[in-house]
Amino acid sequence: MKGLRDIYQKYLLPSLRVRGWWACLLLLAACTPSVPTTFEEATWEPAVSPNNFGATLPPNIAPLNFRILRGDASEAVTHLHSLKGGEIIVTGWDVCFDEDDWHRLLEQTRGDSLYCDIYLKAYGTWEHLPTQRFFIAEEEIDPYITYRLIRPSYVTYEELTINQRCLESFDERVIYENMRFEDSEQGQCINCHMPRNWNRDAQSQFHVRQKLGGTIFINGSDVTKVNVKTDSTLSAGVYPAWHPTLNLIAYSVNETGQVFHTLDPQKIEVIDYASDLILYDLDANTVQHIDRTTSDFESFPTWSPDGRTLYYIAAHYTPRADDIDADLDTNYDQLHYNLYARDFDLSTRRFGPRRLVFDAEALGKSASVPRISPDGKYLLFTLADYGQFHIWHKSADLWLLPLSNEEPDSLESHSCGTHPATMTSAHPLEAVNSTEAESYHAWSSNGRWILCSSRRDDGNYTRLYISYFDRKGQAHHPFRLPQRTADADDLLLRSYNAAEFMVQPVRATSRELTRAVKADARPVSYAGSALLSPEADTTQVRAVPSSAERRGASVGY
Amino acid sequence: MKQRLSFTLVFVAFALFLLLGPLKPYLVETAALTPFYADEFTFRKLFGTHCGVLFQVAAGLQSCFAYPWLGACLFISVLVAMAYVQRWAFRVGDNWFGICWVSSFALLTNYTQLGYLIYTIKHPAVAFAPALGFLAAFALIGLWFHLKHWWWKLAFLLLTPILGFWLLGFFGGLVAPFVGFCEMGIARFKKCDEPSPTKRRTSRRQVLGSGTSHMLWGLSLFFLGLLLPSLLRLILHRDLDFEAGHIPFSSLPREMRLPWILALTFPLFYAIFTLEGKRRWTIAVSALVFCLAGVAAYHYSFLDSNFLDTLRMKHAAEAGEWNRVMVLARENKQEPTRAQVCLTRLALFKTGRMGDELFTYPEGSAAYNAPQQNQWLRLMIGPLLYYHYGKTGFAYRWAMEDLVEYGERPAYLRYLHSVALLNGEYALARRYERTLARTLFYKPSTSSAPSSSSSAPSAPSSSSPSASSAHSVSSPSPSSSSPSSSSAQSVSSPVPSASSPSSSRLGAAHICADNSEAESIRPLLNYTDQLDGDNGLVEFYLLHSFALSEGGSREIVELSLMNSLIIKDLTSFWPRFLALLPTWQGHIPTHYQEAALMVAQLQGGAPVNDLPIDPAIGQRFQRLIQASAQNGDNAANAIALRPEFGNTYWYYYFFVEGLKTN
Repeated sequence: MKGLRDIYQKYLLPSLRVRGWWACLLLLAACTPSVPTTFEEATWEPAVSPNNFGATLPPNIAPLNFRILRGDASEAVTHLHSLKGGEIIVTGWDVCFDEDDWHRLLEQTRGDSLYCDIYLKAYGTWEHLPTQRFFIAEEEIDPYITYRLIRPSYVTYEELTINQRCLESFDERVIYENMRFEDSEQGQCINCHMPRNWNRDAQSQFHVRQKLGGTIFINGSDVTKVNVKTDSTLSAGVYPAWHPTLNLIAYSVNETGQVFHTLDPQKIEVIDYASDLILYDLDANTVQHIDRTTSDFESFPTWSPDGRTLYYIAAHYTPRADDIDADLDTNYDQLHYNLYARDFDLSTRRFGPRRLVFDAEALGKSASVPRISPDGKYLLFTLADYGQFHIWHKSADLWLLPLSNEEPDSLESHSCGTHPATMTSAHPLEAVNSTEAESYHAWSSNGRWILCSSRRDDGNYTRLYISYFDRKGQAHHPFRLPQRTADADDLLLRSYNAAEFMVQPVRATSRELTRAVKADARPVSYAGSALLSPEADTTQVRAVPSSAERRGASVGY
Repeated sequence: MKQRLSFTLVFVAFALFLLLGPLKPYLVETAALTPFYADEFTFRKLFGTHCGVLFQVAAGLQSCFAYPWLGACLFISVLVAMAYVQRWAFRVGDNWFGICWVSSFALLTNYTQLGYLIYTIKHPAVAFAPALGFLAAFALIGLWFHLKHWWWKLAFLLLTPILGFWLLGFFGGLVAPFVGFCEMGIARFKKCDEPSPTKRRTSRRQVLGSGTSHMLWGLSLFFLGLLLPSLLRLILHRDLDFEAGHIPFSSLPREMRLPWILALTFPLFYAIFTLEGKRRWTIAVSALVFCLAGVAAYHYSFLDSNFLDTLRMKHAAEAGEWNRVMVLARENKQEPTRAQVCLTRLALFKTGRMGDELFTYPEGSAAYNAPQQNQWLRLMIGPLLYYHYGKTGFAYRWAMEDLVEYGERPAYLRYLHSVALLNGEYALARRYERTLARTLFYKPSTSSAPSSSSSAPSAPSSSSPSASSAHSVSSPSPSSSSPSSSSAQSVSSPVPSASSPSSSRLGAAHICADNSEAESIRPLLNYTDQLDGDNGLVEFYLLHSFALSEGGSREIVELSLMNSLIIKDLTSFWPRFLALLPTWQGHIPTHYQEAALMVAQLQGGAPVNDLPIDPAIGQRFQRLIQASAQNGDNAANAIALRPEFGNTYWYYYFFVEGLKTN
């Protein structure tokens, strides 16, 4: 017996070990995907979903997984490689890249092209589809975004969540969900999560409507609730704009309603029946009016990066009937919003007179959601045929207005007639726009990336697209927000809403937020006008629209 | 054994009779309202969300109600299993076995009593989740009493409240407190293990001590069962619903909570008291309780004929069996609800028999046998009516509103898909197709979205709309006025004509051309879009929007004419009547002849003698005038004239009053 054991230990075991290693290596080699060596060149473009080929990618973005649409082929191999070395080979129809391999390859390829070759085996023969290309930018993207997930709904709402997502991976976390306070009597709507300065100082805010309503301010782990509505303002604050340096937020206050198309696939019109601008001082806990006229509807404020100018949109409205709601329901397509600005004195905290920045009405169009690039050189906005709530307008496109005198050479100018010099070079971002609505957008903190809400996939469900914006002021072909599985967005019957970049995640816990929401909202006091020389101040605070259908509307732009 | 089999057979027969008899359409509707999708998301939800396992498994089984015999067999199997598991868990003797069925009857009733509420209860599986939840809970309780080693019991104690609560929601959390009750209930299990009468007699103090210790032990288990889920909530930093799994009480009227409470309390009863007697009266009591439970189950089941008939009519309409809708309307013996009237009118319109027969069908506005009267028509058939009448924006809207409010139910997705197709929104239609394709029984048979350039290989063939239709329209009657047999013929109406539809809409029409359902709706899309709101009053909106419409296709003008007659607005009768006159090709539908005679009599406005009015109808009208003049009293006339004139527009116009639309 001992002899047998000796033989086993001396001769058989080492031999088995060696052979075992070889066997393992052989097995591994057999399982390691390889690129076909013999193939025929195909001329047709690969059919993949989502198709992000041609996009410029940040070097720190999560893998852009996709699915190859099968067709007649029986096998598929995807070969991702760069000229600087490094490659990833994936077999199968669901092309999901290993996160570490992907990041390593992108890091190697920074500032260069990344190539994607797809091989399909059909009827026993491998075919090589035309090589596709990504370009990897030098500049990184902010690692986080925040957005609300909402169904493209009408009046009812349930299960709204404000989420944050890491762009470098697929990690997604719910910041706040509305269902925790759900009861059969009253729901809770949440919206407009807006970080201050890309959440650099861990400051952000969002609104809670209806049950336990108020505006939630997050400052690190300190969370408070404020009721921004006063007797002198139309509503609580709606669309927010944090001042970049002072503890101020400009809000629009809106009396918003929804009306429904009987036939038009655009389905819904979200109309402001009145709107003004206010300034909320977080330290003094006061609100002041910025714009308050019945003849103009102001909305969507945004600050210049130096905080010395407030941009916003406004439409002039001349009532054609006593019943403004009925009049606007009929003539909703006659409401055209222009871009305006007011200078802001940082020391006195007073606004100067209004000046026209972009006359959209002269083009027969309507502008909305102005956002200034971090370097202050560009104003990005959406332009559609009418109105301000462009998510439901298929004509809505992203437009760029250079604000500096020095205009990029390569820009193709679209003359706007006899308007201010800055307007002559406003132009659509052709590389980003689609035939469906592009409605909401945000600049990354370095100004090199644009996050854009688009309904290009099916006209109804909003998805996020990210476009590179180069130093020459040109936007590049966008890519869809990467997802862990290629069909994640296809199966999700919700829209991404009001997405913003963040340099760090929101760190307040669900418990801290819940506690703040449960608490009583701190009331604010009204402090008059914030204008240097108050203009006509004629808005009467109107009652809530009578139509039951308009109330409780949760709308996602 | 014989007793057990008898109880089982009687229960199965009763449940089969109830579910596959009168409640068959209710089962089909339940399946359409059950959001179950066989995909990766569902798998993730199984363990990734609170109560996920129970909800997903229950929803999967409940969606089998789409085939009522299959769903019913599964449901009954669960209920039967529950009775047997209770017997095993609580060691109920054979003679008492009848009592174990109380929970099964109660949970059967828990589902069958809901009726209209099936639309508004926000729960993915109202039938199966409570049944499966109780089954799992009883099985776990039984397991506790069959565990021999203390460390297994310790593991059970720690895991069940947390893991069970996470996987099964309320029912998982129920186990430990229930076990606590059982333990408090005494040493009866102990007695089973130690049956020596001598020992029991000699240790009365010991028994008292044992009882106290069991009481304390039980109370600790009870509180542990309550404590651990709270601990889980603290650990996860999430608000967990302690009630997750069973139907939320807040959505049920008080009396409807009784079956659920019975399902819970009866097991508690025999958890505490030993049911092992073998005397003859025990089986009598057991059988009596069984019978009473059966009678109560039948009595409290929602067998409202208007509700069930509406469901039958709806399902026939969705299958395109319009003639069956009308047969069901004729067979109805009660005063119909507005939902039934609307479905009948739609069927008459679809078959082109509206002008001849509409007022021959029963009218009425019977109350829905449920609270909140105004919502049921919209919830049951709102999208269906809007879709078939060409108000696609509102069909989509209400399907979406309900999807938002009540979840991703296939019933809503079907209309979102159909409207997207009709609108020419093919990418959107494909999204809904993909979602419906993940259901077990609602895969769309019309995969009609044409391919887009970006997804060529995956897109279905563009010729597929013609391949089949989920709701194909049955052959219309030979009447020449059948809308489904006519094209989008434009009427040269003296009323100002609406502008033509947009080019994209024409494109949609082209794609949908081969789809018979879409084909029948397409002519109704020939009107100018407008912004509007219906406040959820579907019938009211449809009546008035058509009655007040101007121009459009022949079908729209006919609907305009008929709806203005229904709302008794005769101001634009002649322009519409005369516009339609050439399209009737000699045969003016009966009700329009009646209306023409009546309007000419009341208002003048057109030379009736020049119209091809049937002399018999003219003579009948004269008889009506004479007969009504004889009585003079309107109420008396309404009764006296009904037998002869009850099926005429005249009778409707003069004597049918106070109908509540919606």
